[in-house]
Amino acid sequence: MIQLFHVYKSFGGTPALRDVSFRVRKGEFVFVTGPSGAGKTTLLRIMFGAEKASSGHILINGINLGRIRRKQIALLRRRIGFVFQDFKLLNNKTIFQNVALALEVTGANPSYVRKKTRQALRSLGLIKKEEAYPLQLSGGEQQRVAIARAIVKNPLILLADEPTGNLDPDLTREIMVLFRTIHMKGTTVVVATHNRELLKGTAIRKIYLEKGRVIKED
Amino acid sequence: MGKLLYFIRQALLNISQNKLIHLISLGTISIAILILGVFLLLLVNVEGWIKNWGGSITMSVYLEDNLPKRQIAVIRQALSSREGVEIQRFISKEEALIELKSALGPQSELVEGLTRNPLPASFEIAIREPKTDPASIKRELEGIPGVVEVQYSEAWIKRFRGVMRLVRVGGMMLGGLLCLGVLFIVTNTIKLTIYSRKEEIEIMKLVGATDWFVKIPFLIEGFIQGATGGLLALVSLFVFYLIMASNKGIFLSFTLLEVVFVPHFYMTAIVGLSSFLGFLGSLMAVGRFFEV
Ligand SMILES: Nc1ncnc2c1ncn2[C@@H]1O[C@H](COP(=O)(O)OP(=O)(O)OP(=O)(O)O)[C@@H](O)[C@H]1O
Ligand SMILES: [Mg+2]
Repeated sequence: MIQLFHVYKSFGGTPALRDVSFRVRKGEFVFVTGPSGAGKTTLLRIMFGAEKASSGHILINGINLGRIRRKQIALLRRRIGFVFQDFKLLNNKTIFQNVALALEVTGANPSYVRKKTRQALRSLGLIKKEEAYPLQLSGGEQQRVAIARAIVKNPLILLADEPTGNLDPDLTREIMVLFRTIHMKGTTVVVATHNRELLKGTAIRKIYLEKGRVIKED
Repeated sequence: MGKLLYFIRQALLNISQNKLIHLISLGTISIAILILGVFLLLLVNVEGWIKNWGGSITMSVYLEDNLPKRQIAVIRQALSSREGVEIQRFISKEEALIELKSALGPQSELVEGLTRNPLPASFEIAIREPKTDPASIKRELEGIPGVVEVQYSEAWIKRFRGVMRLVRVGGMMLGGLLCLGVLFIVTNTIKLTIYSRKEEIEIMKLVGATDWFVKIPFLIEGFIQGATGGLLALVSLFVFYLIMASNKGIFLSFTLLEVVFVPHFYMTAIVGLSSFLGFLGSLMAVGRFFEV
């Protein structure tokens, strides 16, 4: 589903990723971990076509991101849910509108958009807040809105960047259960985190990054 | 269909969220298009007046001496069958002489002594076809057998046509400049509304919007701006026309002149041009704005 071959990425000379290669199978659940600045966000953004690799190849669902048109990137993104580390919610839109946006841009009809959006909000316990605006919510609630927007389109792949960064331990566990559920339904899930608690005692595959290099896997 | 509604709603939302900018630019566009419209209105009217004056271009068609009545009738027939020519009267040699005498007044003795009438008979005709060059009509009529010469006074016609040509060229240049101005205004307005929605556009693209999906509402927005600007200009132009029509005596010190509004074709053209400029302006604004 996701394949990286010798991916390098540097921002004006300073390398963020160095020779990163791995593959994630369809339906797999993977953690990407490592200290702050290790390159986790950069790695996820590259898989999403939001950043171009300096060299190397990336195949997503059989599509080579290196030689893809802008239009195809858009179509690919409709099949990838992304939870941004900084949420990227629109403060002048309601929670409902923020989540619905991910479906609206596909040109889906309004009644379908409404139904799916409500469904996603309900599954994240946000239905009571649908008319609220992001700045009226707590950090944890905003986090869940970001997740709702990522899963509303039933993505093939879910990329989550630090999705529990703002949550207390109970909510963290709840979110992890949610990701497992999404994973059970067949979605390929990649979660980037530096939260060691999250990784403890799980049999889930982990990719360790440090200074842009994969230092180990288990 | 549903998509189109979505785009239009989005465009209207953009407008309502940037009311002030839109109002300012709408005003400017309307004024620019109005100037163009006023110019057209004046041009249309002046051309109409010329057409009417053209009716009073009279020509004298001088005939050979001693033509039999039958041939004069043939010439009359030839003249009146020509489109745009209206025979006003026939002046026989005798009548011409009488007229000359009365024109000379006290000096009419000068002609009293003549043994032979030197004046030719003539038809006085009016030309109702100002588009055609009078010189070519003259040539054409001089080709009729029995016609010696056709005369008319052409100095003022030439001058007027020259002035009109200049006015038209000037109008085109002014029009071109105004169109560029409108384009510039629309482009900048749309750039501003794009800028005000920069964050939203970025996020839309991150969740899978295609370039066109993001661009189309802005194109509609520009089109709406151009179209409303054009309509507003047309309405103002009509008001201008009403004022002009009711004050034509003051404006032109001629009450004889009829003031008319621009014909339908120009009305459509004004609004069409304005809408097109709005669309083009937004297309230019949207062009290279979407690298996310
Ligand atoms: N747009 C950018 N321009 C310049 N440098 C960047 C940019 N994005 C990331 N970097 C650099 O790349 C390196 C990796 O950053 P990245 O955000 O991927 O780390 P991270 O592992 O996600 O860290 P954190 O856990 O703090 O989120 C850092 O040194 C960062 O400064
Ligand atoms: Mg990060």
